Amino acid sequence: MGVYSIYRYNMAELHIIGQIVGASGFPESCLFCKWGVHTGAAWRLLSGLREGQTQVDLPQIGEMAYWSHPIDLHYATKGLQGWPSLHLQVWHQDSFGRSELCGYGYCHVPSSPGHHRISCATWRPLGTWQEQLVQKFIGGGHQLRKPDLIYSGADRYRLNTEAMGTVELELDIILRHFDKYGVNS
Amino acid sequence: MATSNPSVFLLSVNGQIQGANFPEFDHLYCKFCFVYGHDWVPTAGLEEGITQITCKGKQSPHTLIWNFPLETTFKSTNPSGWPQLVLSVYGPDVFGNDVVRGYGATHIPITPGQHTRSVPMFVPEPTWRLQKFTSWLLGRRPEYTDPKVVAHGEGREVTRVRSQGFVTVSFHIMTKDMKKLGYDVGPSGAENTPGWAAE
Repeated sequence: MGVYSIYRYNMAELHIIGQIVGASGFPESCLFCKWGVHTGAAWRLLSGLREGQTQVDLPQIGEMAYWSHPIDLHYATKGLQGWPSLHLQVWHQDSFGRSELCGYGYCHVPSSPGHHRISCATWRPLGTWQEQLVQKFIGGGHQLRKPDLIYSGADRYRLNTEAMGTVELELDIILRHFDKYGVNS
Repeated sequence: MATSNPSVFLLSVNGQIQGANFPEFDHLYCKFCFVYGHDWVPTAGLEEGITQITCKGKQSPHTLIWNFPLETTFKSTNPSGWPQLVLSVYGPDVFGNDVVRGYGATHIPITPGQHTRSVPMFVPEPTWRLQKFTSWLLGRRPEYTDPKVVAHGEGREVTRVRSQGFVTVSFHIMTKDMKKLGYDVGPSGAENTPGWAAE
């Protein structure tokens, strides 16, 4: 217990408290979202779930799907590199229970303390025109083999994508001891 | 009130459950409760309650008003597990049974000051059409055994829901000793009283 308290006071801490509110602007309703938070090696997760999957929502009012998925993460860090980023995959579930990818998106967790409302735009990989025609009739479509391409820029130049809808997030950020290390945010 | 080395901070929540917007339903009441982590303890005020039953007014046919007061104070050593307000709205169906019209949850705002939140409300959806029909006929809709599950993220991936309304809640938030413990929650108003931060 004593070792743990020394560990905490030597490091800066970040709390991410909020919700994945929902999504809008997608061609289909009945959507769910797989999400995860990716950080660099200097960050350690002290409590909370760093990934999850929301419920499937079918909206009755308007076209925005609402998930209200809670996020409560507590990180400790020794450095600023690898600031947490949130990556999202929006999927559509049809009435037969099949899932089809609707969009990938990512956004950095805000670095200034306070309340933030974030709109994260999403994109979907595009195939050839023949594949798009097939996709129009029976669904499906391309998916990334390695999802880390969502938040890395390394091999993006090989991709052809189309724009999809946006995911709304509300995040509250609490910083601790960052000012002791001379960090301004 | 002056403490040199506080080990806990306080969060004071004042506000109200203003009302709701459910286009298809009327005669609704709302149950609320707070869900919080292991490090949190409520020190004053109610942890749960039920509002009155309200109808849409003739003047404003879309608005349901509860105007229900919320006054609770929490103390904690750790912002993890920040309290959430969990709401469940109930109303009568065509046959007079009391059925759930929506569940929803929102985190209590972290920054001192005035905030308004519009909380989307959803109900669990039966997967089979026959089940939908029998549940409508018998008035036994799918419900959560414990409404507090909507405040957690685990186990949601297997649920299908239908969002069908909103509840408006307003908060006035004050905190004490968060700055002394090293926590920065972002911009708030001028600190008139030592220790308490409010706008």
